[in-house]
Amino acid sequence: MRTRNLSLLVALCAIVTCPILAQADSTPITIRFHDHRWEPLSLTVPAGQPLTIRVLNDSQETIEFESFKLNREQAMTPGQTIQVRLPALSPGSYDFYDDFHQDVPQGSIIAK
Amino acid sequence: MHRVYFCLGVCLIALLSLAVLPPRVFAQIDPWEFEVYPYATESRGVLEIESDNAVVANGHNSAPNGTAAGTYPSQGMWYSGEEFTYGLTDRIETAAYITFAQPRGHGFWWAGDKFRFRGRLFDEGVLPVDVGWYAELEWHKTPQFDDADLELELKPIIEKDLGPFSLVLNPVFEKPLYGAGHDQGFEFGYRNGAYYRWLRYLSPGVEFYGGVGLIDDTDPLSEQQHYIFPVAWGELPHGLEYSVGPGFGLTRGSDHVLVKFNIELEHFIGALFGPSSETGWFF
Repeated sequence: MRTRNLSLLVALCAIVTCPILAQADSTPITIRFHDHRWEPLSLTVPAGQPLTIRVLNDSQETIEFESFKLNREQAMTPGQTIQVRLPALSPGSYDFYDDFHQDVPQGSIIAK
Repeated sequence: MHRVYFCLGVCLIALLSLAVLPPRVFAQIDPWEFEVYPYATESRGVLEIESDNAVVANGHNSAPNGTAAGTYPSQGMWYSGEEFTYGLTDRIETAAYITFAQPRGHGFWWAGDKFRFRGRLFDEGVLPVDVGWYAELEWHKTPQFDDADLELELKPIIEKDLGPFSLVLNPVFEKPLYGAGHDQGFEFGYRNGAYYRWLRYLSPGVEFYGGVGLIDDTDPLSEQQHYIFPVAWGELPHGLEYSVGPGFGLTRGSDHVLVKFNIELEHFIGALFGPSSETGWFF
């Protein structure tokens, strides 16, 4: 009985930690903000698997990385880098933009 | 598949909201703030000015009943809460409120103040569900708008995104610290919501608000308050965000129809602290 309970506990832990481990394995993709624009403006990522995106504010202005479709939002001071963890995305296009500067061209993450 | 999980989630929220009701004091809700808090906090250094409003279109003509916890009846009452929120760190924000009310046939009166901290634990996506916390102190103008002078409100925040859908739970634990009911335990309530991200400037959602009274001695169901609000929400140019919708009372103790309209404006004013550690989980 104890062995069975232990097995159940291990299985439960595996289920709970599965998303964390999957994300830890993915290689970060980088988006850089400089000269009042995002680079790259469009990037393609694999659909169906969790991923982490590194966002670097390589400018002298404070920006806010935001994506409505991905439900992510964070202000970034000059020189700051953040990691944006995303769940497995369905195929499609996902917006991202600087919410503090409406004149900065909007970027897109394309999941294929 | 996301749609199936979303529908199941909405049903679960509705069931949790209406059935898992932990009760004889006054089953109160906070009519100055029909808002469900998401996991995400205000960005570091950002100031948000928000006006939360609710008008009771069809309420009660005697007090205290429905959303009115003081000596004025709820019918025709306009509740307005002005909120100033500041992002302290990447994971913690603080806010101060001043609340007003306009009972039918009267002008706008100061009704109370609130002060709170709110935070998120870990970063988004680290845990299977995103978890946050909320702690608030609330002063009331008594006996006009409440029966307790000072209250403590605590609530965990739980959010799960499923593709374009978001499910958000805010179970509420509230205790009067001074005034009527200060010698009693915690009251239980909820603010739950389900949202669909359709368009950035216009998206639909549904919100559930309610209060059941004391955890260990709940009010009879007919005296409890439970509301459902279909809402429209979105972002407008220049940092403006809004959430509007009608609310319908589901029990005899609830007001029958309310209308909420919340609008907020965000602006970066400068950060007090440096970036939070990526490996941190609290600050």
